[in-house]
Amino acid sequence: MGLDFHIAFEKYQLANGMRVILAPDHSVPVVSIYMIYGVGARCEPKGRTGFAHLFEHMMFQGSANAPKGLHFKLVESNGGTLNGSTHPDYTDYYEVLPSNKLAAGLWLEADRMRGLVITEENLTNQKETVKQERRLSFDNQPYATAIVDHWPQIVFRNWSNAHSLIGSFEDLEAATVEDVAHFFKTYYAPNNAVLVLAGDVRPAEAKELIETYFGDIPPQAQPPHPDLSEPELVEPRTEVYRDPHAQVPAVVIGYPGPVRRSPDYYALAMLDVLLTGGESSRFQQHLVKGKQSVVQFEANLGWPFASSTDYKDPGHYTMFLLHDPAIPGGEVVEQAQAEVDAIRKHGVSEAELDRARTFFRATRVNQLQSSLRRAMLLGQYELLDGNPGWINTELKEFFRVTPEDVCAAAAKYCVPERRFVLEIVPARAEWAQEPQATGSAP
Amino acid sequence: MTRASRTLDRTKPPETPPLPAFRLPSVYETELPNGLKVMLVEDHRLPLVTLRLGSPAGSKFDPAERPGLAEATAALLTEGTATRTARQLAEEVAAIGGTLDASAGPDSLVLGGSALAENLAKLLELAADVTLRASFPEEEIRIYQKKRQQELRAERAQAAYWADEKIAEAVFGSHPYGRLNPTPESLAKLDREGVSEFRDRMLAPNGSVLILLGALPSRDETLQRIRQHFGGWEPREIPPPPPPRFPAPRRALILVDRGGSVQADVRVGQLAVNRKHPDYFPLVVASTLLGGGASSRLFLNLREKRGFAYDAHTTLQPRKDAGLFAVVTQVRNEVLEPALAAVLEEMDRLGAEPAGEEELADVKNYLSGIFVLGLETQNGLANQLATVKLMELPGDYLETYTDRIQGVSADQAGAAAGQYIRPDDASIVVVGDASQILKAVEKFGKPTVIKAE
Repeated sequence: MGLDFHIAFEKYQLANGMRVILAPDHSVPVVSIYMIYGVGARCEPKGRTGFAHLFEHMMFQGSANAPKGLHFKLVESNGGTLNGSTHPDYTDYYEVLPSNKLAAGLWLEADRMRGLVITEENLTNQKETVKQERRLSFDNQPYATAIVDHWPQIVFRNWSNAHSLIGSFEDLEAATVEDVAHFFKTYYAPNNAVLVLAGDVRPAEAKELIETYFGDIPPQAQPPHPDLSEPELVEPRTEVYRDPHAQVPAVVIGYPGPVRRSPDYYALAMLDVLLTGGESSRFQQHLVKGKQSVVQFEANLGWPFASSTDYKDPGHYTMFLLHDPAIPGGEVVEQAQAEVDAIRKHGVSEAELDRARTFFRATRVNQLQSSLRRAMLLGQYELLDGNPGWINTELKEFFRVTPEDVCAAAAKYCVPERRFVLEIVPARAEWAQEPQATGSAP
Repeated sequence: MTRASRTLDRTKPPETPPLPAFRLPSVYETELPNGLKVMLVEDHRLPLVTLRLGSPAGSKFDPAERPGLAEATAALLTEGTATRTARQLAEEVAAIGGTLDASAGPDSLVLGGSALAENLAKLLELAADVTLRASFPEEEIRIYQKKRQQELRAERAQAAYWADEKIAEAVFGSHPYGRLNPTPESLAKLDREGVSEFRDRMLAPNGSVLILLGALPSRDETLQRIRQHFGGWEPREIPPPPPPRFPAPRRALILVDRGGSVQADVRVGQLAVNRKHPDYFPLVVASTLLGGGASSRLFLNLREKRGFAYDAHTTLQPRKDAGLFAVVTQVRNEVLEPALAAVLEEMDRLGAEPAGEEELADVKNYLSGIFVLGLETQNGLANQLATVKLMELPGDYLETYTDRIQGVSADQAGAAAGQYIRPDDASIVVVGDASQILKAVEKFGKPTVIKAE
């Protein structure tokens, strides 16, 4: 199967250590600016859960020459969009702009890398905003608290991996201006960052602008890497969470996953496509349709905070299945396991694997239409692998996976002896115990 | 590096050239003898093709006692045909690196598809098969029914479900636009006869549009394949839509009691216009001034200044026969009263005080830029082209969009706000724990209290 696409890019480094990737494509007059820093929630110290995310908010509160509010205003008034997000292993920021507004976006990113304004007032205000975000996106939602706060504690033993990414109100309150300033100096240095420009960008002009804005930002000592190692021995566990907001029960199933970019990583990613990729996948055909036990499902390496593209070990291959209340969660777990076991025992035909490859390739080609998506992949592959070129070459690795590799990966990773389970049960018993799912509901 | 760049003043944002004029990719249009409109757009960046087949067959044609029928018909189109089972369809779609599924909105039913470019012929064959020959197998209807019932139950666990449902009902009244979702009762009634009848009555080539975008073969070959698969589709008379009658705007106050809510989900909404109405572009600008993006008045006031909310924005949802304007926010229980008061104040101020020159220019640039950004992908452009046809907008709608945004004056935006964003006439829906927030809601009138269940 041919790859028939190639994302052209060049990579270089400024004297201060900042890595730059330029990926020009002039078909649409849009440019994406993607700034990714090598710091995430797994870098947080004890007593400071949620700090990386709180800090991400502080990045929009003003810098030396861009007073509070200007970042949003300048991007939006130039017809662009922007955002930032915090992940276990990185924090990223982007601006998507009409391409003639490139300089404005670079100026903003450089100004806050050079001199973020960190005041008591901004910090207090953003603590409130983050708490409000927590209420909106987690505390008032079904499933979210179980997944974000409880699931990591079930699957990880090392505190750096296991703590909540959104953090506790108590820890957020305890964060000081000094903490923020220290975090900024430690992690938000040019030598801990990658800048990617993708889309309608002229390299010569872009290089000059980048040198002007970023060139003399001083580097810092390389930040420490947290010890993320997990014990070799896995103790399987099953827990139950009573969710006050859920109306439909769900199960989360996770298996400790492989090393990123190892042969097993590619094999597990293909196993995931066979099980859960699209309408023709085994979960859709056998569980949603055949047994009609599952209502909705999602799965990925690194779920819920990552996907196979930005999965970083230690992590898990994780499935989330919303299921029929008439069927106990434990039974749904066994049904999912039986699907994995069927592949392990009976193998998979070359035709089915070929369909999975086609699905995988089409999904990727679809993503690559967006300049922001191209920029994200390039930046993440540089940060996580030191090689943005994976954007063009990794499909070959996924396609090299054979039916035997998939079976071997299923046998090695996805077995009950290495399995973590969280059953999410509606706290309101009348829903959970209702014998029949069909018929009219109140 | 040049000398000029070294002396650049870093203390000020750089000067940049104005937004470029936007040029739509060239669109080839034609029509088959059976009335099917065809639009073709070449895009050879990636080996990909995208398809849309849109028909004016949305949920506004649902019989009153069967909300969700259009939605169900759309979902079931791809679950089996005269010659293919649902599973065969799924496998054939996967084998071409494709997607193929339909969904129904208030006005239209749209089949969307994509495939790796070398598989265009197969994509067209499958799209035609489900459009013309969907067989609605009993077993698939039963699976859909049960799954949708569970999904609906999960959706009804979310505060936003109730907020959106109730504001639409308050604004659109008994018109079908006022119902966003099926009900447990209507789902229980779902059957093969109803779905087949809806398809037979509503899906026809006349009034429909087929859009193909991407790395297409020669135009002759593409058109020949379209004729081969869709040429035999028989035209027929389509029933007229329900009359566009809506209640006059008036303040309704609805409290949806959702026990255990840790915050209150708020909508303040009013009847608005469709895209063809002369007030539409001024209203787009007004709505964006109030709540579009992170520099808008509501965001700055409720989030940045007062810390009441994480999110505060406006939504303007133009449908074919009318529109819905609403403020959307979620606030802490204890600040509900001042937050809602602030929302009403900002709505009032929007009509009373015209926007400043810079504020207006910023908003117009924002809208123009977002529009262009949305056309970066085949899906983005396909959706816009489908909207133009299905909403029966002028042929130059996309090309003139940014000009018409730029042409809105402060007075026009203010006048639109004064008419469609009126605190006294807007309905208010609050979803939250009544035991915590009833007193705050009562400051704004006597609420109708509904249970969220």
